[in-house]
Amino acid sequence: MALTLAWLLISSTTAFAQPRTTITLWYWDRSIDDSLIAQVNQHVPGVNLVAEKIGGDYAAKLKTSLAGGSAVPCVVGLNSDISVYFPDAFEFDDLRRLGVGTHMPDYLRWKWRLATAPGGQVIGYPMDIGPTALFYRADLFRKAGLPTDPSQVAALTSTWQDYLQLGRRFEQREPQVHYLDDITNVFGDVMGQSPTQFMTPNGTFIGGDATVHRAFDLAAEAHQYNLSANETFSVPDWNAAVANGAIASIVGAVWEKDIIEQAAPNTSGDWRVAPAPGGAGNSGGSFLGITRYCSAPEQALRVIEYLQSPQAQLTSYRSIDLFPSAPADYASKAMNQPEPFFGGENTNRVFAAAAKQVKPAYFSPYVDRLTTIYDEELTDVETTGLSPEQAWQTTLMECRRELSH
Amino acid sequence: MSSLTDTLTLRGERGSRIGRRVQRYAPIYLSIAPFYVIFAVFGLFPILFSIYLSFQRWDGMGKMFFVGLNQYIYLVNSAQFWQSIVNTIEIWVVSTVPMLVLALIIAFLLNAPVRLRGVYRIAFFLPNITSIVAVAIIFGSLFATQFGLLNDLLGVFHVPPVAWLTTPWGIKVAIASMIIWRWAGYNSIIYLAGLQGIPAELYEVSRIDGAGPWRSFLHVTLPLLRPVVLFTVITSTIGGLQVFTEPQVLVGDTGGAGQSGMTMVLYLYQQAFGNSEFGYGAAIGWALFVIIVAFSLINWLLLRRPAAR
Repeated sequence: MALTLAWLLISSTTAFAQPRTTITLWYWDRSIDDSLIAQVNQHVPGVNLVAEKIGGDYAAKLKTSLAGGSAVPCVVGLNSDISVYFPDAFEFDDLRRLGVGTHMPDYLRWKWRLATAPGGQVIGYPMDIGPTALFYRADLFRKAGLPTDPSQVAALTSTWQDYLQLGRRFEQREPQVHYLDDITNVFGDVMGQSPTQFMTPNGTFIGGDATVHRAFDLAAEAHQYNLSANETFSVPDWNAAVANGAIASIVGAVWEKDIIEQAAPNTSGDWRVAPAPGGAGNSGGSFLGITRYCSAPEQALRVIEYLQSPQAQLTSYRSIDLFPSAPADYASKAMNQPEPFFGGENTNRVFAAAAKQVKPAYFSPYVDRLTTIYDEELTDVETTGLSPEQAWQTTLMECRRELSH
Repeated sequence: MSSLTDTLTLRGERGSRIGRRVQRYAPIYLSIAPFYVIFAVFGLFPILFSIYLSFQRWDGMGKMFFVGLNQYIYLVNSAQFWQSIVNTIEIWVVSTVPMLVLALIIAFLLNAPVRLRGVYRIAFFLPNITSIVAVAIIFGSLFATQFGLLNDLLGVFHVPPVAWLTTPWGIKVAIASMIIWRWAGYNSIIYLAGLQGIPAELYEVSRIDGAGPWRSFLHVTLPLLRPVVLFTVITSTIGGLQVFTEPQVLVGDTGGAGQSGMTMVLYLYQQAFGNSEFGYGAAIGWALFVIIVAFSLINWLLLRRPAAR
C-alpha cells in the first residue's frame, strides 16, 4: 500500500516535472516503419524511446540477453516463432494485466490467440500477419486452356483436391511448366489453415491425427502427379524458375507478393491472386512484447499502442508492405488499389477476406521443430523416391523421439 | 596470505622486498594480462561451462534442468548424429583428396619459371580469403538444377541436367567442390614453399644418374615433401571436420535432400540455435571433441612413423 502510494506520488510528480522515462526497443529491419519510431516521443507523453534495429540472428540475441538478465530491452519484437517463448512466458509481462483488453477488439482474434501462452498470459501485441492465397500465372493458365479469371479459378480450386486435379489438367497441356513450386509448401499451407497444430495446449502430441495425415498425403499426391518444380522457396533457383515461367502457381502468404515481384519483374501483369484452396490460412507475422525487466511497463504499452494502432499499421503497410492485423484498415483506400503486377487486380481484397476467416489455433513451442521433421521426410519423398507411407511412419517416429528429448 | 594487506601497507616503504617485487613485475604481468583475461572470458569459461551445460536441459533463456547423462544417451541413439559423422567424412574424402592433388599440380606449375608468377600466386590464394557466404551463394547458382550454369554447360554437350542440390550425392559434390575451390590455392602455396626448400643439387644429381622428370618427382620431390604433405593433410582434416558454412548456406539448416549436407557442426548448430537445445548442443560439441581427438591421434601416429624407422 505504502509502495503504491509512493509510486503514485512519484509518477504524479514526474508528470508534473516532465522528465521522460526511457523505453528501450529492439526490432529488426523492416518490422516497424522508421518514421513511426521517430514520432513516438512527440505522441506518447513522458517517454523517451530508444529504438535499436538489431541485425543478424535476432532471436539468438534476444535469448542471450534474457539469459544474461541485464541490459534487457523493455519492448521487443517477437517473430512468428513467438510460441518458442511460451515455456519462459514469465520473462514477459502479461499484457492483459497491463490493461490491453480495451484494444483487443481492434485486432483479429486469432492473432491474439497466437500470442497466448498455455497458462493464458498474452505475451505479444499484434503487428503484421501473413494471410495466404493462391498466386497463379494467368498467361500460363490460358496457354493450358484453363480459365484465367480469379473468380473462375477460385471456383475450380476451392478444395486442395480440386487444386491438385486442376494441376493434372495443366500438366497434360503444359508439361514443361511446373504447376507448383514445392510439396513442403503444400504441407505447410494446408497446416496453416488448420485449427490444430501438432500439439494440444497441455502438451499431447497430435501430429499423427487425420488433419496432419491429410496434409502429408496431399503433399505426397502433388509429387505423385508430378506437379512440383521441387524448388525450395526463395533460393536463387526458385527466383530463376519464377522469372523464367517454370512455375505456374504458388500458394503463399501476402508477404510473398514482394518476393515474387522482386524475383520476376519481367512477369509483371501475368500474375493473379485467388483465395487459397481449402480455405483461409496464415503463415508468418510478428508481435511486440514487454519484458519483465521493463521498469515502466505501462508506458511501454503506450508506446506499443502508438506503434501498432490501426492507423500506424496502415502507415507500415504503405511504406514496407506489412499486412495489418487491424481489420479496420482493410477498407482503407490505400489497401484497395489496382495492382499492375497482378493485371490490375485488387489482391488485398482476397488477402483481407482470408485474414478475417483464419481459425484461431494454439501453436506449441515445438511447432517449428516438428514441421522441420515433416518437411525433411517430404523432401526425401520428393528427391529420394521414399514411399509416402514409409515417410509418414518415419516422421511420427522422429517426432516422438524429438519430443522425448 | 596476509601478504596482500602487508604489501598495501608496506607499499610506501621502499625497503620492503614484496612491495618491490610487485612493483617490478606488475607492469610485466599487466602487459600479458589482456590475453589471459580475454582467453579466460571467451575461451576457458565457455569450454568449462559447456561441460556443465551438457548435463542440463536448457532452452537458452529460462531455467536449466539437470538431466544427468540423458543428452549423451540421446546423442548416441540419434541416427541423425551418426549420419552427420558419415556425411562429414564422405565430404572430407571427396574434397581433400582431389584438392591436395590439385594443389600439388598448381604448386609445380607455379614453381616453374613462368612470367607473372606473383600474379598467379595471388590469384590462386584469393579464393581462400573470399567470404564463404558469398562463395556459397555463387556456387548455389552454379549448381542450381533448373537454371544453373553447370547444367547449362552440360546441356551444350547434350548431357541431361543433374539435380545437384536436390540429390544426396549431388549436394556432397557441390559442397566438396566449394572446399576444393577455396583451399586448393592455399595448399599449393604451402607446397610451393616446400618445393623451394628442396636443394637444386638433388635434382642435378638425379639427372646425372639418368632419372627422368617423373622419376625425380617420385624419388626426390615426394619423399622430401612428405612433412609438408602431412601438414596439409592435418590442417585439411581439422578444416574438414568443421565444415559448416558451405552446407548451411547451400542447402539450409536441415542439410537438404536426405540430409546429406548435414555435417557434424551443422547438426550442432541446428540443435543448439535452431531448436534451442543448448544442453544437447554442448553434448554434441563434446562428441565432436572426442572425434577430433581420435583423428588427431591417427595423424600423430602417421607423423611418428618415419622417426621410428
